[in-house]
Amino acid sequence: MTVSVYVPVALSVLVAVISRLMVARLSPTRGTVITVVGAAVLCAAGTTWALVLLALTLIGFTPLAVAEATERGVVLVQPVPGVVGALAAVALTFGVARVVRVVRVRWATRRELRELCRSCGHGELAVVPVAEPHAFAVPGRPGRVLVTQGLLELLDGKERRVVLAHERAHLAGRHHGLRATAEICAAMNPMLVLVREAVAFLVERNADEHAATVSGSRELAARALAKAALAEAGGAKQAALGFIANSVTARVAALQEAPPRPDRLLPGGFLILGVGTATAAVQATLAFYRLIHWLWLG
Amino acid sequence: MRDGARLPRRRRSGEPRRGAGELESEVLAALWASGHPLTTADVQRAVDAELAYNTVQTILARLYDKGLVGRSSEGRRHLYRPVKGAEELAAEQMQALLRRGPDRQSVLQRFATSLSEEDAEALRAMLKLRRRRR
Repeated sequence: MTVSVYVPVALSVLVAVISRLMVARLSPTRGTVITVVGAAVLCAAGTTWALVLLALTLIGFTPLAVAEATERGVVLVQPVPGVVGALAAVALTFGVARVVRVVRVRWATRRELRELCRSCGHGELAVVPVAEPHAFAVPGRPGRVLVTQGLLELLDGKERRVVLAHERAHLAGRHHGLRATAEICAAMNPMLVLVREAVAFLVERNADEHAATVSGSRELAARALAKAALAEAGGAKQAALGFIANSVTARVAALQEAPPRPDRLLPGGFLILGVGTATAAVQATLAFYRLIHWLWLG
Repeated sequence: MRDGARLPRRRRSGEPRRGAGELESEVLAALWASGHPLTTADVQRAVDAELAYNTVQTILARLYDKGLVGRSSEGRRHLYRPVKGAEELAAEQMQALLRRGPDRQSVLQRFATSLSEEDAEALRAMLKLRRRRR
C-alpha cells in the first residue's frame, strides 16, 4: 500500500492528456474508438479500485480491529493517513452518485426519444414537423433516424443522403454504447472527462467518414455538415457542449482533406496507453492483495 | 428483401450503391422536405436525378404498401405525400426534449452541435468558396 495505489490516478491523467492531444490526429476507425474507450474503462476501474483500497484502510483501523490486533500482539502501522482514506471514501461516494445520475438521465432520455419516434409512425425514418434543424440517431431494435422537417427542407437530395448515412453509421457502429461507456467512466473518474470528449469527437468523425464514403464525395459530406451546423447555430442559442468547442469546424476541415489513413501514431500511442492502464490494474490488484494479506493474515 | 424482388441497382464510379431500406428513407425524406404532394418524376429529381425512374416507382409503391406514404390521383398521375401520424404530439415531445438542461442535451447525439461566431464565419466562408468554384 505505498505508491502503487496512486498509480492508477496518475495514469488516468496521462491517458486523458494523451487522448486530448491525439484526438485530432487519430484515424477515426471503430478500432480506434474501442481502444480509447477500453483505455478509459481500465483507468476508471483502476482508480475506483484504488479508492476502494484507500477507503478500506479505514476499516483496518476501527477501534475493534486495533483492539484485536493488539490482543494478537500485532503492531498496526497505518499504511496511509486516515485523512486520505476518508477522502477516498468521499470521492468514491460522489463517483457512485454521479454514475447513478448519468445512467438515469441516459435511460430517461432514450425512453423519451423512443416515444417520440413512436409518435412519428414506423419505418427507419422518423420525421418530426419542427422547423428547427436537428437530426438524431435513436438506438433500439431496430434503431431509427430521427430528423426534423426543418433540416430536410434545408438540404438537397444528396445532402439529405449524407445526414441519413451519418446517423445510420452511429446505429450500425453502436456509437451510443461506446459514448455511454466513456461517459460512465468520466462520471466515476472526472479526470477522464477529456477522454469522454475525445470519444464523442471520434464517433462523429467516424460517422462523417462513413457518410462521405456512402455519398461518394467528401466535399458533399463537408457541405451538408456545414449547412446543418450553421442552421443549428442560427437557431436558439444553446450552451456550447463539450470541450472541443470547435468540433464541427474540425470535422468539416477533416472532410476537406484526404481520407485518413491508418496511422502509425495509433499503435505506438495506444500501446503506451494499453500497457500503462494494464500496469495500473495489476498494481492496484497487487496492492489490494497485499492489503488483505497484511490486514487479515499478517 | 420483403417481397423477394431485387431492386434495380445502379453503379457509378465513386458512388457505392445503396440498399432498398436506405432508398426508402431518402424518398420519404424528399417527400417530407417538399411542402406539397409530388409525382414520381418530382421525387426522382428531389432524391437524385441519376436514379432510375423505375426504382423510384418501386420504392414509392413499397412505401405506400407500408402505409408510410399517401397517394392521390390527378389525371393519370399519382401524387405522393408523407402520411403524418401524431405530428402535433411528436412536435411537442421534441420541443420538450430540446428544452432540457445541458446534461440531457449531451445524451442526444446531434448531427452538429452549436457553433461559436468565429466558427460560423469560417464555415460560411467555406460554403461560399465552394459555390464560387463550381
